[in-house]
Amino acid sequence: MTTKLFGEPVRRREDARLITGRGRYLDDIGPGALAAAFVRSPHAHARIADIDVDAALDVEGLVAIYTYEDLTGPMAEPLPVLIPHPQLHAPRTGYPLANGEVNHVGEPVVMVVAIDRYVAEDAAERILVGYEELPAVIGVDAASAATAAVHGDVPDNVAARHHQETGDVEPALAASPHTLSFTQYIERSAGMPMEGRGVHARWDADDGSLRVYTSTQASTSVRAAIAAKLELSLDEVEVVAPDVGGGFGVKIMHPWPEELLVPMAAIALGAEVKWAEDRREHFISSAHERQQKQEITVGFDDEGRLTALDAHIWHDNGAYTPYGIIVPIITATQLVGPYVIPVYRVVVESVYTNTVIVTPYRGAGRPQGCFAMERTMDRIADALGLDRAVVRERNLIQPDQFPYDHHLTFQDGRPVVYDSGDYPGLLEKLKALVGWDGVDALRDDAEARGKLLGVGMALYVEGTGPGPYEGGHVQVLGSGKVLVSTGLTTQGQGHETSFAQIVASELGVPIEDVEVTTGDTRRFPYAVGTFASRAAVMSGNAIALAARGVREKALRIAADVLEADPEDLEISDGVVQVRGTPGASIPLRTVAVLSNPLRYAFDEAAKQATQFAVQAKDDEPPVSPGDAPGLEHRDYYSPIRSTFASGAHAAIVEIDPATWEIDVVKYAVVHDCGNVVNPMIVEGQVHGGVAQGVGGALYERMAYDSDGQLQNASFMDFLMPYASEVPDVVIDHQQTPSPLNPLGIKGAGEAGVIPGSAALASAIEDAVGRRITSMPISPTELYDLVRDPSAERTAVAERRAGTGAMA
Amino acid sequence: MNLDGSAVLHASPEEVWSALTDPAVLARTIPGCLSLERVGEDEYRMNVAVGVGAVKGTYAGEVRLSDQQRPESYVMHASGAGAPGQVRATVTIELTPDADATTLTYSADAVVGGPVAGVGQRMITGVAKRTAAQFFTAVDAELTGTVVPIAAAPSAAAASETGAEAPAAQPEVFTGKAGVPAGTPDLRTLALGALGGSLLTLLGVAVGYRLGRRP
Repeated sequence: MTTKLFGEPVRRREDARLITGRGRYLDDIGPGALAAAFVRSPHAHARIADIDVDAALDVEGLVAIYTYEDLTGPMAEPLPVLIPHPQLHAPRTGYPLANGEVNHVGEPVVMVVAIDRYVAEDAAERILVGYEELPAVIGVDAASAATAAVHGDVPDNVAARHHQETGDVEPALAASPHTLSFTQYIERSAGMPMEGRGVHARWDADDGSLRVYTSTQASTSVRAAIAAKLELSLDEVEVVAPDVGGGFGVKIMHPWPEELLVPMAAIALGAEVKWAEDRREHFISSAHERQQKQEITVGFDDEGRLTALDAHIWHDNGAYTPYGIIVPIITATQLVGPYVIPVYRVVVESVYTNTVIVTPYRGAGRPQGCFAMERTMDRIADALGLDRAVVRERNLIQPDQFPYDHHLTFQDGRPVVYDSGDYPGLLEKLKALVGWDGVDALRDDAEARGKLLGVGMALYVEGTGPGPYEGGHVQVLGSGKVLVSTGLTTQGQGHETSFAQIVASELGVPIEDVEVTTGDTRRFPYAVGTFASRAAVMSGNAIALAARGVREKALRIAADVLEADPEDLEISDGVVQVRGTPGASIPLRTVAVLSNPLRYAFDEAAKQATQFAVQAKDDEPPVSPGDAPGLEHRDYYSPIRSTFASGAHAAIVEIDPATWEIDVVKYAVVHDCGNVVNPMIVEGQVHGGVAQGVGGALYERMAYDSDGQLQNASFMDFLMPYASEVPDVVIDHQQTPSPLNPLGIKGAGEAGVIPGSAALASAIEDAVGRRITSMPISPTELYDLVRDPSAERTAVAERRAGTGAMA
Repeated sequence: MNLDGSAVLHASPEEVWSALTDPAVLARTIPGCLSLERVGEDEYRMNVAVGVGAVKGTYAGEVRLSDQQRPESYVMHASGAGAPGQVRATVTIELTPDADATTLTYSADAVVGGPVAGVGQRMITGVAKRTAAQFFTAVDAELTGTVVPIAAAPSAAAASETGAEAPAAQPEVFTGKAGVPAGTPDLRTLALGALGGSLLTLLGVAVGYRLGRRP
């Protein structure tokens, strides 16, 4: 196999292991461990009056029961506000176990440890917690009405008022030839990884060390949090992310109460303790995302060019703000998309509700921002009677405008400066891919079959690969094996393949020789985490730099042996050779052996590096000053700012006017993530993202009732798209390399999900001629909408009705 | 940790004091009491077999009484140890007349150490309170005559009804209900039994829970 693998569609190396049951997920670890189970609040908002454990004491096999009273030191303090921000003026976080008050259904109150999960659940069931119920605040409207408060000392329920503006929006709007104002909603959903969260902890009392396995996207930071909360020295704690069955953002949130409590119990009991989340727990205790109310006012001229945009958004952050206001910031800053917006003001009020916390879920505020911007474009087109693609085209940032500064501050605290892109190129490719200009014929054809057909599009720009940094370590062993490690974690992205491709290409070794380890603090203790479509950008570049360091050292050593100039050497298929001189070569594995001067020959290969085998220079030490034994290198990549990927989606829907079933008959994606390490993996990411985008647009919602009970907290009731609901996706690529990083790559992990709701709302609106102001939309809601005489008809529908077209 | 509780006993404070200081009563009423041994002036050693659930174990403890204000109050200093851990506690016991009955209140300041300390306060206090309740229910049954006392006999030759006068050099041993023969306890022993027993018992219970996972 060639060693120049960067950009090749290499099949994922990890899949054979994962799909044949040889993965090692959290619950595969510690089969004999004690099991934890949790008593969780059944109320959305209540004071805890008393906790009676008496009945649980009779359960055979019960080991321990923990409540807030058992928490000491930092554990008794509120959980950290992970990402503080000056505009987060009223941050609130819960406790690992409730301290007298619960603020959402599912908040942990008591932890039970028993010989197994069955016994733990039996004991948990017998623990009686007395509650005094308090009024529940559910949904953004109830939160902003503030007739009741989630936190008594935050009477208006506003945690943060995030505000950015690029000019004086009111006069700009007043001077605009046209303005439109409208309100729209987007619902809650969640990532729903196949594997929920889970934690296993083992305490070695003899050497005072703690090993924690957790299904996380941030093992290094979980490690730091455990050390801080349990008052351990960092060197006493190691955290490993084993195979992780999906994350989608919910596992970047940390430390989850269970990530602290399970280790605490393991230390207290001197035993292995494990907790694996069940599905109901995941629904009511892990994070959700997405709910916003958006009030938009836009000014534009006769050609549909934006003059000013004013967005006032209410963002439901749930009961607490442990992840700060990252999602509101991303919505606020990514809303602008690929467009020139002369004056922009955004205010996001992040409000408390008595619901599960809201932290990033794949897309992380971008789908909402895209929904706001793209629906604005649709409305302008409708108001002016222009083609929706034309209005977009007129507002696009042009290829010669890069780097393009939006004069906003992104989630990484850095300016929103688009590094590169070709947005008109995206739009052209999209129109061709979906057949935009031929849709009227399709519409007529569908009408003849008694169906309503519509098309919609949405464009986005996605800030990816934020810092502060990631690192990579590459080491060539005497066996020829190349060990690669990076600290960030993997939860299905195919890092074992794409990182190996990078190293194989950079170092000139067969990919079969490369082994990749991620998310293990024993191997690489410095890392940030896997989120914000950053793994390929951050660790990919760090690993590339580390591989280049190894290559340089290998060439230096080989040049000595081959008595050649390093400049004349090349590495290919794991062999260093003098370019153009067949036979003048040395295997890289031999270079690795020679890189480590030895006294003892523990095997045949080692003999070559021993003191009587090496032609040493008597006046030089075996290891030169400034050098180090071993053929390895560690390096870091720290970007100046995020790199901005982009894309455009279009959907064609057919709606059956008898059932109002919405069938996505075509879904087109044009995707630009700069240079591509592995197009097959990128396409897989796009497919998965589109599936979640379709889910969020048509099926998934968190059905909280007014009391804060999540009424669809199971896979019986929470609709996720099956393969039968996910459309075939046609993809076209565009590559505008990032000038910010050595590999010229941009992130791809979240892209597919971002424009789903916007594009499908546009398509459905186009099909039925009624304004779609809230997503997701179900057949029932669509049925009600088209029969509601007060529902707003689109202008284009009125025009089509005037010409006899079906509306 | 602090452990507070109370019990209503259907007799006068004087009668309650007598019962709580009657080794025979104590031996019968302390849950799991195997034996009481007088080791000195107001000092006793006891063994308690405990265990909620299938596993039982024997735990050794010592108790010393002080600040005795008959029939109103005394302070008990208890310590005990078993394989799973140790307990050290200072317990203040007060008897308050209440119509025809006596309200006994106890307030324990306990330090629990060793592995058993890791099982959680609610669990430890839950077991201790349950054990204390069993003890007081048994004592109250003795006081109200709802149970016929089994004649207790000293298991040691030189049993004394007045423990205060017994020489420390000649220990007396009383056997509890859980032991083979019944014992003749000394009155202070009782007091310690009430709380010391429950503390030791809770230790044992906790141990039992822990051991229960290895059948």
